[in-house]
Amino acid sequence: MAGFKAAFANELYKLMKRKKVITAAVLSIVAVLVGQAAVTAIQMGFGLRMAGGGDFPLVVLPLLTYTLLPMFAAFVAIDMFSGEFATNTMKLTLTRPVSRFGVFCAKTASLAVFIIGNLLFVMVLSMIAGFLFNTSPGGIGEIVRVVCAYVATFLPVFVFSLLVVLLANLFRSGAAVFFLSLLIYAAFHLAGIMFSSYSSFLITSMFDWYTLWISETFNAAKIIREFLIMAGMGTMLFAAGFYLFDRKDL
Amino acid sequence: MTLAMEVTGLTKIYKNGRGIMDMNLELYQGDIFGFLGPNGAGKTTAMKIMTGLMKPDRGDVKIFGASVLHDYVNAMKHVGCIIETAETYPYLTAYENLKLFARFYPDVDEKRIDECLEITGLLKFKNEKARRFSLGMKQRLGLAAAILSRPKLLILDEPLNGLDIEGMVDMRNLIKRLAEEEGTTFFISSHLIHDVELTCTRIGVVHAGRLVSVEYTDRILANYASLENYFISEVDRSGRV
Repeated sequence: MAGFKAAFANELYKLMKRKKVITAAVLSIVAVLVGQAAVTAIQMGFGLRMAGGGDFPLVVLPLLTYTLLPMFAAFVAIDMFSGEFATNTMKLTLTRPVSRFGVFCAKTASLAVFIIGNLLFVMVLSMIAGFLFNTSPGGIGEIVRVVCAYVATFLPVFVFSLLVVLLANLFRSGAAVFFLSLLIYAAFHLAGIMFSSYSSFLITSMFDWYTLWISETFNAAKIIREFLIMAGMGTMLFAAGFYLFDRKDL
Repeated sequence: MTLAMEVTGLTKIYKNGRGIMDMNLELYQGDIFGFLGPNGAGKTTAMKIMTGLMKPDRGDVKIFGASVLHDYVNAMKHVGCIIETAETYPYLTAYENLKLFARFYPDVDEKRIDECLEITGLLKFKNEKARRFSLGMKQRLGLAAAILSRPKLLILDEPLNGLDIEGMVDMRNLIKRLAEEEGTTFFISSHLIHDVELTCTRIGVVHAGRLVSVEYTDRILANYASLENYFISEVDRSGRV
């Protein structure tokens, strides 16, 4: 456990020192600003109310979930595995008194922290923007809905990033892993449209899982079913990723 | 004498047929063991298995009684190492690099980090990013990381790579001092045979994946003009067999 804690602290420290985190933060700010500009333009130009102050974060969320967040989660996962294997820095951690399982857990946990951090950052930013620029601020109920939606979004994005972790342990080249992740992401979206009856087995179809949490009618059965599918996928991807990581000779 | 490392039946064969075969070795506390062999003989493979970076096909390595295969965390508690090249995180400073490694050892504090930087002559570059370091400076930082936890066993693959003459002399003196004063055991591979002769107390020669001889340096020098002559003779003999 001590080894895991040290490895986890180190992974977070390395994450903070990389430029990708700053880039992710800057692009997240840009996404919020673009979203706000679009809402304002539509309100001023067409007189249509797209979002009130309270639900503006819910306008930004799909923009984040389908583009920036999975992309940056993939970048971070590739950096943590393929990147460190390529630059030979993986051995710096692996030759310390910590098991490979501890290192793998520390890396995936810090990836989870990155996703949570990014979601929280955009949520707070979009809430502030929503309250500042939109005329009808929402109440506590709106805030609870927004928090629920952002919290729920974590799981599908994290499961997708575990898929990237698996690929990063399967292929040596970071570029190959990135393009393959991109290809799988697009293929899953397409398959979700073409074979809609099977879409619940594709992780990208669950990126809108949060809508179940904030809809007028709370469909507990569907929420639990999708949660179990994602938990199963996550467990299998985690186990497969660790299997490859553990067997790797440096 | 305390057994620092015990290698039994270590075997790892690559797809190309090279690797190491049935390697057996006992290393006692305070030994400075020189691991010599031609290129491709299997030195780095053996060292990678000893440090858990690679899994053997057969055999085991025990470090102070703990198996690298079955009790890795306890085995590595006493080990510091440089394998192949001394890597560092280029986007971190020398201090930050060591601070990261220090988290794995509860006894290592700020004072010890500064001490290691001082020993390796890097204290004045403490806050400089490792990407700006020369090869020799990276090697020094790698050494600082290896000795940081005051390990009982240091496994060093080509530790003199990239060092200037002053650095080599410093390294030699450091190895001798740690072995004498703190009883640190060393397992060193190097192609700089003159330095090995001056530093190591025991020599092992590996050829074509097999450990062909293990002997004390003073006994070698009593029978051969130099370690170089001994090495060539052992490799020749092994090649003929």
